[in-house]
Amino acid sequence: MAKMDYDGPILEIDKLSISFFTRLREIPAVMDFSCVVQPGEAMGLVGESGCGKSTVALGVMQDLGVNGRIVGGSIKFKGRDLAEMTAEELRDVRGSEIAMIYQEPMASLNPAMKIGKQLMEVPMIHEGISEKEAYERALEVVTDVKLPDPKRMLESFPHQLSGGQQQRIVIAMALMSKPSLLILDEPTTALDVTVEAAVVELVKDLGKKYGTSMLFISHNLGLVLETCDRICVMYSGEAVETGSIEDVFDKMRHPYTQALFRSIPLPGADKSTRPLRAIPGNFPLPHERPPGCNFGPRCDYFEDGRCNQGDIKMSEVPGDDRHGSRCLKWEEIDWAAPMVVTDQKEKAEPGDVVLKMDNLKKYYEVAASALFGGGNKKVVKANETLSFEARESETLAIVGESGCGKSTFAKVLMGLETATDGNITMLNQSIESVPIEARDTDTVKNVQMVFQNPFDTLNPSMTVGAQIMRALEIFGVGDSVEARRQRMLELLDLVKLPRAFADRMPRQLSGGQKQRVGIARAFAGDAKIVVADEPVSALDVSVQAAVTDLLMEIQREHKTTLLFISHDLSIVRYLSDRVMVMYLGHVVELGTTEQVFAPPYHPYTEALLSAVPIADTSVEKQHIVLEGDIPSAMSPPPGCPFQTRCRWKNDVPGGLCEKEVPPVRHLAEGHQVKCHLSDEILSRMEPVIKVAAE
Amino acid sequence: MDPLTWTGSLGVVLNPVMLALLAVAAIGIVAQFVLPLVIATNQRGALALQRGPADYAAMAVQYSLFGIIAIIKIYVIAAIVGPYGIAGIVGEVGARFLPVWIALGITFALSITFKRKLGLYGKLFDSPIGMVGFGLVMFWVFTAFFADMIMTHDPLVQEVVMKNKVPGTPFSGDEGAYPHYLLGGDKLARDVFSRMVAGSQIVITIAPLATLFAFMTGITLGLPAGYFGGIFDTVLSFLANLILAFPVILLFFLLVTPEIEAAGLPSFMGMIMFAFPILFLIVLFNSRYFTQPTKRLVLIGGTVVLGGWLYMSALSQDRTFFGDFMGAIDAFDLQDGILTVFVSVVFVNSPTVFRIVRGLALDIQTRDYVAAAQTRGEGPWYIMLWEILPNARGPLIVDFCLRIGYTTILLGTLGFFGLGLESESPDWGTTINAGRQLLSAFPHPAIVPAVALVSLVLGLNLLADGLREESLRD
Repeated sequence: MAKMDYDGPILEIDKLSISFFTRLREIPAVMDFSCVVQPGEAMGLVGESGCGKSTVALGVMQDLGVNGRIVGGSIKFKGRDLAEMTAEELRDVRGSEIAMIYQEPMASLNPAMKIGKQLMEVPMIHEGISEKEAYERALEVVTDVKLPDPKRMLESFPHQLSGGQQQRIVIAMALMSKPSLLILDEPTTALDVTVEAAVVELVKDLGKKYGTSMLFISHNLGLVLETCDRICVMYSGEAVETGSIEDVFDKMRHPYTQALFRSIPLPGADKSTRPLRAIPGNFPLPHERPPGCNFGPRCDYFEDGRCNQGDIKMSEVPGDDRHGSRCLKWEEIDWAAPMVVTDQKEKAEPGDVVLKMDNLKKYYEVAASALFGGGNKKVVKANETLSFEARESETLAIVGESGCGKSTFAKVLMGLETATDGNITMLNQSIESVPIEARDTDTVKNVQMVFQNPFDTLNPSMTVGAQIMRALEIFGVGDSVEARRQRMLELLDLVKLPRAFADRMPRQLSGGQKQRVGIARAFAGDAKIVVADEPVSALDVSVQAAVTDLLMEIQREHKTTLLFISHDLSIVRYLSDRVMVMYLGHVVELGTTEQVFAPPYHPYTEALLSAVPIADTSVEKQHIVLEGDIPSAMSPPPGCPFQTRCRWKNDVPGGLCEKEVPPVRHLAEGHQVKCHLSDEILSRMEPVIKVAAE
Repeated sequence: MDPLTWTGSLGVVLNPVMLALLAVAAIGIVAQFVLPLVIATNQRGALALQRGPADYAAMAVQYSLFGIIAIIKIYVIAAIVGPYGIAGIVGEVGARFLPVWIALGITFALSITFKRKLGLYGKLFDSPIGMVGFGLVMFWVFTAFFADMIMTHDPLVQEVVMKNKVPGTPFSGDEGAYPHYLLGGDKLARDVFSRMVAGSQIVITIAPLATLFAFMTGITLGLPAGYFGGIFDTVLSFLANLILAFPVILLFFLLVTPEIEAAGLPSFMGMIMFAFPILFLIVLFNSRYFTQPTKRLVLIGGTVVLGGWLYMSALSQDRTFFGDFMGAIDAFDLQDGILTVFVSVVFVNSPTVFRIVRGLALDIQTRDYVAAAQTRGEGPWYIMLWEILPNARGPLIVDFCLRIGYTTILLGTLGFFGLGLESESPDWGTTINAGRQLLSAFPHPAIVPAVALVSLVLGLNLLADGLREESLRD
């Protein structure tokens, strides 16, 4: 099909309303949503889960399923109303004019088809070009998405590629027909930070090169800042603020946007002096939206009788470029007023050493064939000479990407696995080779864990109260059912949940509430050490702040040692006292938060810092994009584990990086790195993040 | 007495209407498939709400089916309120099931009224397929329950004159007996209708119970196989595959061979299989309540005493290897052969259940709540039975319904081959086999139990479909 020639805006959405019809009621998912995407423009759609951002994308694709229906407004693509197109016309547009990239790359590729075939299909169907031409184009596009060895890539099956490579292929597929509009629905959420940074960089470059307009859907404000020209903030089915990136980030005119920025850990936030401000209350369910402003009940500027009366329309902010806010009071609010810091906390003093790891090693043996044994046994070195100490009421952050061995370390500490070598001393007890069954109740209840996925952390078939009571029972707290019930209710108070939740089933709770129950369960036996495995990464931004603060508060009261496992350096900087950076089972850097976040860095820390998107226009970042993927732990590279991706490798004479594992070097009191770089080069390093003077 | 016709005097009026409705339905069904091919329609996705010709055909089919059902209802109601024989065989058979209709009506009325409070069971009443399935299944459950009220004659008594008589033949036996053989007589001159009703009792009791035992066995072995893995899993999976690979019918023939029965193989197998539910319950209670010794003692003590008594009673049967050793304190006595049938059915069903449970356990044990239980030092059985099993219930409930259907067919097959139960037994498989010999001359003795079997299995399958569909929706 010939491409339509058209000069006007690529996408015009006008007063779009989409509803889903369930057997009980109509659920409005998107209400009165308008936006315009000009050619070559990148539009960011930001909001928490359930705010309707993905529904907008599906509406554009006219793919709402059996229950969804557009109940009002129009979506015009290059001036043509998509709702009036026939199924056949839509088929022509999809994939060729509008392409979509989804969150999960593996689910977007057909596992039974070679990459090349899948890519070639697109122009062959839409443009009817010959196989040879299609192959040429596929080769060209795969080269464009910067995949190594494009010819071999075309001959591979999806499972032979890593997650980052798969996502690049999905992007390549979207670009095969040179679409005018690219819809990206959380394209990097499933990827590691350093890989994410590379993919984002690629999307940006390709957008420029092909002149494609983009609709970038994300919950991450930092990512949108890096990729988009314009932004639209959504809340509970409505666009609440829209405008150019600079306008919205620097002079926001909607209370929700403001609250959102105050709840994310930007540089400058600190858990003691400038804590995050969580948005109070909960996200309203689609059928329980309040009258008037949806954000009203959670808004600081709420005015009864005004904000909850009637529908609120989008109003223009004069003087800015297409900057609008859905707030009645935006002209009256003093936007420059500084945030009221309500509760400043004393910084807790670290006490005695409660946990000491010394040269901990954990190796796994993987047999080639599980059924008949024998064969080649491979050794996976999940943890290699891990040594550190953690003190009472201290927060030690463990940072690293997937496969770095942080989960294995947690398993060994919890007793689910036993160490291959080395020592773990907890409260003067040696526990490295005591599996959980052999540990006494005190040891077990002293080390507890908070899990990552809130939807997985609670048993779906047991009430919340019963699950906490079970933990109390096992830890031997209380001597009667009544006593334990009383203690359970106190624990619910501790995590700030209403006592009525005791009789609820987990499915009736939101993600943040479930995570609170998980925290209550971990503290059921007054744990001395709590391992928090990415406890907030699956939560929405506004909830993250609340859960993080809760964790901090309980820690302060109970003088708990918190081992905070995360890949998100923003939150790590906000809450941790010391940071340990891991890569492929090695501790590459360890020091206080100030030491790790300031040069000299380990080259990996440097790249990691650069990869994390920061939602602040005043921050200048050095761009360091790591090539390639994390090597497999089955066959780690010789010498330094990071040498395959290190940009400083050439500064070490004699190819030492490829030959020897670097020794641990102490740069300052309590600051150690594992690197061959000379002191002189390390001292030359520049800070990755600079906050521009205002 | 005159012989009954199919629809009696009422049929003279209603039959032409019925025929017309049937014709409309048939034409409508054909039209639904043909019309869209002939006439090009302008379907436009979800927004197309205009009705096309095919939609009208579908409506015609729907309404004519409603009409047919309404006419059948008229027959039944006429037979209940009107004089005997007014609505013929159809009406009288319907009238005999009166207690079943009442029970079904009450069940549906209550369930639909409170469906929002009844969880998955309540959701079933949102799905037409599920409702039809549930209705069919409950029809046979209530029939088995009220069988003594429904039966017109003794299912085992032979009245020589009634041999191979067609449906509606007047019964010339004792005074005061039911005046007709509603669905005719079989080759041994027994009432086909009453035998079908009596047969439902056997099927409805054995099939779910055997399935339950198969599930207990499968769950008790499948959970540890999935959870622990390793050698235990390898060995058990291999055994399961071995049983699955063995031809089922051959296995049955082997089990019911007199020599094998005399050697006590079925009894020993029963000894092992019947132990699983007791074992299951003991482990279940122990893993949960070991922190509360009194509660544990009561629950486990109760299980051991009650379960042990039932276990012994099940094994102490006449004419089996063990004999009736319980004597006076025996809880129940089974019909001859039922023990063997039961054991065989459990034996061939449990490997499939084992594999399903093992797969679910493998999946669910990667969840965080399992890890949370491990890190607070829970024992493996607590994790398996209280953390994994309750969350595997969805697929297991659906499979349970389907498996009752398979078991019913299996029982039919067993009866058909004359295995296990006595040849006198009114169960559907045996009756179909008995009727088969004169099928071309007198089809009714075989058709009636066959239709019954089909409707029950169909009902179970629809019920399983409905449950699966509704459990996926929210």
